Amino acid sequence: MSGWLEHLVFGILATVSVLSSFLVVTRKNPIYSALFLVVMFAMVAGIFMLLDATFLGFMQLLVYAGAIMVLYLFVIMLINPRDETLPDEGGTSEKAFAAGVSLLVFALLTFGISNSDLVTEMTTPGGIPALAEVPATHGAIEAFGYELFSKHLLVFEVASILILVGIIGAVHIAMKQRPASADENDSNEERLVTDV
Amino acid sequence: MFSLPALLYLSALLFSIGIYGVLARRNILVVLMSLELMLNAVNIALVGFGRVHALSTTSGEHGGQIFTLMVLAVAAAEAAIGLSLLLLIWRRWKTIDLRELCRLSG
Repeated sequence: MSGWLEHLVFGILATVSVLSSFLVVTRKNPIYSALFLVVMFAMVAGIFMLLDATFLGFMQLLVYAGAIMVLYLFVIMLINPRDETLPDEGGTSEKAFAAGVSLLVFALLTFGISNSDLVTEMTTPGGIPALAEVPATHGAIEAFGYELFSKHLLVFEVASILILVGIIGAVHIAMKQRPASADENDSNEERLVTDV
Repeated sequence: MFSLPALLYLSALLFSIGIYGVLARRNILVVLMSLELMLNAVNIALVGFGRVHALSTTSGEHGGQIFTLMVLAVAAAEAAIGLSLLLLIWRRWKTIDLRELCRLSG
């Protein structure tokens, strides 16, 4: 892809992802937040593909825009939040505090990036050079998978154990209480509801 | 191609928007979404650094991308656990408001 086209595509992806992530945190209704989050995930997948991480871009689409967002939408539909049950968002002072903290973090990060020797060292005048000397398969599933299953096998195993623990934990936490102890749970629930 | 600092600034911007969402919002669902947003912002930086690093190695290593795959797994597990906790909270107290849940602070 020629240089200016890549710049243009990156500019569009970056702008849309920033705008949609801003909309995610400002919409009152979580359904709109979830839909803008899908847009943001898709834009990030596009950035990954521009960076020659083709396989990872597809994984991003499958795992985030596919699996995780479906999970979110299912939960939103399950609890079915109507406008009157949505929490009141904080006042302006609270929002100003949050905006101040996030601006501070952004200022610190940009200061760090612009003054980092490592980043200056890694930056080349014409942008990131194209991969010429390395195999053209960089980021494709063969090269990626070969490295994942040889050099980084432990990472793969740890990730699989983590996901297994996550599945078991999620099923256990979200499981309905057993009917045998239902009475006890009901009274417990009532007590907790009354002291809200 | 675009430069590495452009990617890092984009990543920093998305990360700070995520921090704003976590701090300002009271809806647990949106707070969880903001966490995903922050994880994605970090992923952009990781892939960018990995892409530059691949230039200096003859075999074109995928370290950054494999790190990102790990973050993806963590995000999936975090979403599953967080949403099941949210369901439990909703079933017990019929609220998704974080401020109503801070009963431990008295």
